[in-house]
Formats: sequence, structure tokens, C-alpha cells
Amino acid sequence: MAPLLLQMLEGTVTSLQIFFLTLLFSLPLGFVVAKGKMTSIRPVRWITDLYIQIMRGTPLILQLIFFYFAPFYLLGLSYDRFTACIVAFVVNYSAYFAEIYRTGLQAVPRGQWEAGKVLGFSRAYTFFHIILPQVVKTIMPSLGNEVITLVKDTALAQTIGVSELFRVAQTASSREFSTVPIFIAGLFYFVMNYIVSRLFALAEKKLDYYR
Amino acid sequence: MSRMIELRGLSKSFGETSVLRDISFDIDKGEVMSIIGPSGSGKSTMLRIITQLEKADDGTLTVDGDRLFESHDGAAVYNKANERRVGLKTGLVFQSFNLFPHFSVLRNVTEAQRAVLKRSRDEAEAKAMALLAKMGLEDKAKMYPWQLSGGQQQRVSIARALAMDPAILFFDEPTSALDPELTREILHVIRALAEEKMTMAVVTHEMNFARAISDRAVFMDGGVIVEEGVEIFTDPKEERTRKFISSFESDG
Repeated sequence: MAPLLLQMLEGTVTSLQIFFLTLLFSLPLGFVVAKGKMTSIRPVRWITDLYIQIMRGTPLILQLIFFYFAPFYLLGLSYDRFTACIVAFVVNYSAYFAEIYRTGLQAVPRGQWEAGKVLGFSRAYTFFHIILPQVVKTIMPSLGNEVITLVKDTALAQTIGVSELFRVAQTASSREFSTVPIFIAGLFYFVMNYIVSRLFALAEKKLDYYR
Repeated sequence: MSRMIELRGLSKSFGETSVLRDISFDIDKGEVMSIIGPSGSGKSTMLRIITQLEKADDGTLTVDGDRLFESHDGAAVYNKANERRVGLKTGLVFQSFNLFPHFSVLRNVTEAQRAVLKRSRDEAEAKAMALLAKMGLEDKAKMYPWQLSGGQQQRVSIARALAMDPAILFFDEPTSALDPELTREILHVIRALAEEKMTMAVVTHEMNFARAISDRAVFMDGGVIVEEGVEIFTDPKEERTRKFISSFESDG
């Protein structure tokens, strides 16, 4: 039992790496995408829209396969599965976060921008000090949902052979003719998501001081 | 007396729709001008052009000696170098307050002083507290906008604008979102500012108030100034003005 748990912890570390690296890149990138979707420059808006449609309209599992094999078949170069996995997750999650940001940005009344302008703030100052805090508050619940989904989605990385938690559990399961490892993995995901949802509940509560 | 606002030939269209045509007026320092007229007559757009929330299509505007834009071959050419300076001289109070909901009352009034005017925290807070006291809100400094009544929120927004020491303060229907009792609070504050010789221009539907505080008045309809002068309240010459003014008489 002990070596199995050790292996699963190792798999969990990989899952957490995917999780944090995806957030690290896609949370800021989502903003860039959201800006692209909201720009008045039409070609940029069209391309951004197409990108979001593709990311949301096709399975993540397929996107993983694409990002792992496409560079090899199209350009003849290969890179390691973990990098491919991160690229796919970041590209996919940026699209989802972009849509969340867009809703949040549109929820802030235009008068907030105007008040900032009339008081002499630069656009950047108004964005970071006036608009962004309000966006964060509005999107916190949807962001929480998406981050919880991400924890579970990391299991898809096994499609291209990344040894994350679920792959380790499945391998152990077939080796030992037992479904126990799978259920232990389930418990691991549950604990991780319990922590994530507590953190989001905490953040929401912290932002509850204003309306 | 020196000029605060000198506006000549201001025109503005949104797409095909012309909202302002050849608007001209002056405001001297220490004067109060009221701008009246039916909704959709272009009053707000005019304020929004002077406070740089919208761009003028044509015309010439000088604020306290600084040229913001100048008519050249039928188009307003902006003097980029003066935009910021003019912006700091003009303040605007919105109909919908537009307070920053995530900031306390105090921070609403100090934020721009610190970020834009680079005042120290102590200086900004002292200024803010003095203004809040003047607005009768010194005990609300630590509260958040949602905890205040509409009238209190609007008074905070007036304090926020005054904290920047504007040379002229514009009010865009400051009481239209408020019920009659709260409206009185705000009118009282504006009247007190007028007595201190604060230069102001007020878009309002409160005729008695406008008549009482105005040194100048313009009546706008359909994007043009139909008539001007404080006599429009008591002795309007134009039929349109007369109709508009008399429609408020039942209000007492």
C-alpha cells in the first residue's frame, strides 16, 4: 500500500504542476484574449472569436492530441509531452477565462471609467485601481467553477502520456486487479477541490464588504 | 471679470444625428450658469465635451485661458498639450454619482488627490475630511457608498470633485436620480457653493432653484440654444421657452 500511495503522491505533484502552470499563464492571457474579443478592430475580433469558438467547441482531449502531434507532423519537430500538455491547457483555459473576464468587464458601468477620466486618472490607473477590483468581485463565482473544472481536467493529460494522478491510479489498478487505486485518486481530487472551493469561498467573503 | 469658459460654434453629431449645432456662450469666474431644456436637447453632451468625455466635431473652447480645441476648416482641432491641464480645471458631478463602490467614502475623496495631484496622505485626508464636514458627512468617512442614501452619495461625489480644486464645476442633472427630499439636500449644497462664488454650470430641471442661483441661463432645444439670459425664467421671449418653463409651473 505504501509504495502505491507514494506513486500516487508523485502523480499528484504532476497534476498540481499542470494545474498551477495553466493558471499562471492562462489567467493573464485570458485578459489579452478578452481585450481581443472586445476590440473595435474587426479582424482581431473575428480571429479571437474563432479561436474561442474552437477552444470551447472541441474536446480538450482532442486539443491535447493536436498540440502534441501537430508540431511533429506539420513542422517535423517534437517536444516533450509535458510541455505539449501545458500548451494545450493554457490555450484552452485562456479562452474560457477570456469569456469570464469579458462578462465581468461588461458588468462594470461605463460611469466608472468616466469618473476616473474626469478625476484625471490615466486609463491604466482607472483599469487597475477602479475597474479590475470590481471585475474580480463579479467573476469570482464563475472563476471558482472554472478552476474546479481545471483540477479535474488535469486527468486528461494522460491522453498524451503524462503521468499525472489518474494515469498512475489506472496503471496501479490494472497491475493489482483492483479498483481501489481509482477510488483513492477520486479522494485526492475531492480533497484538492475542497481546498480550492474553500479558498474561493474565502475570497468571495473577503470581497463582500461592498456592493 | 475674467473669463472661465469661452465657447464658440460648438457642433457635434453622433453618426447621422446632429446633437449640437453652433453652440456659443461664456461663463465668467464666480458665475453660475444653468442649462435647461427638454431631454435629448444636447445639454449633457455639451457638458461631456467640455469635460472631455466626448470629442467636439467643430468649434472653439477656451477654459480659463487655455485653448482646448479650435475650429479649423470646419473641424475642431484639439490642443493636445492643454488637454490634461484643462481636465484638471474642470470637474463633473454625474447624475448617477459614479462613486467607486469598492472604496470607502474617505478614499473616494482622497484617491485622485493622491494619484493625480500627488498630495500626501495627510494632506489629502485633511482636505477630504474638511469637504465631508462641509457636506455634513464627516461621520460617514469610513462607510462604503452602498451604505449611504442617494443624497449622501451625491454629496460625496460633489466632495470628490471639489477635492481636486477645479476652477469650474459642472453638474449633469445632479438630482434627477433622487426623490424630492434628497433633491433638496443637493440643491442646498450647490446653493452654498454658489454663495462662495464657486464657478459652476448646472444642467437641471429644478426651475425655481435655477432661477434663484443663476447669473446666466441658456435654454436648449433640439441641439441649439433657443434663448439665453436669466430673463428666460421670468419673461421668456421665445414660444418654445415659454412652453417649457410653464410646464414646470405646477411644481410650485
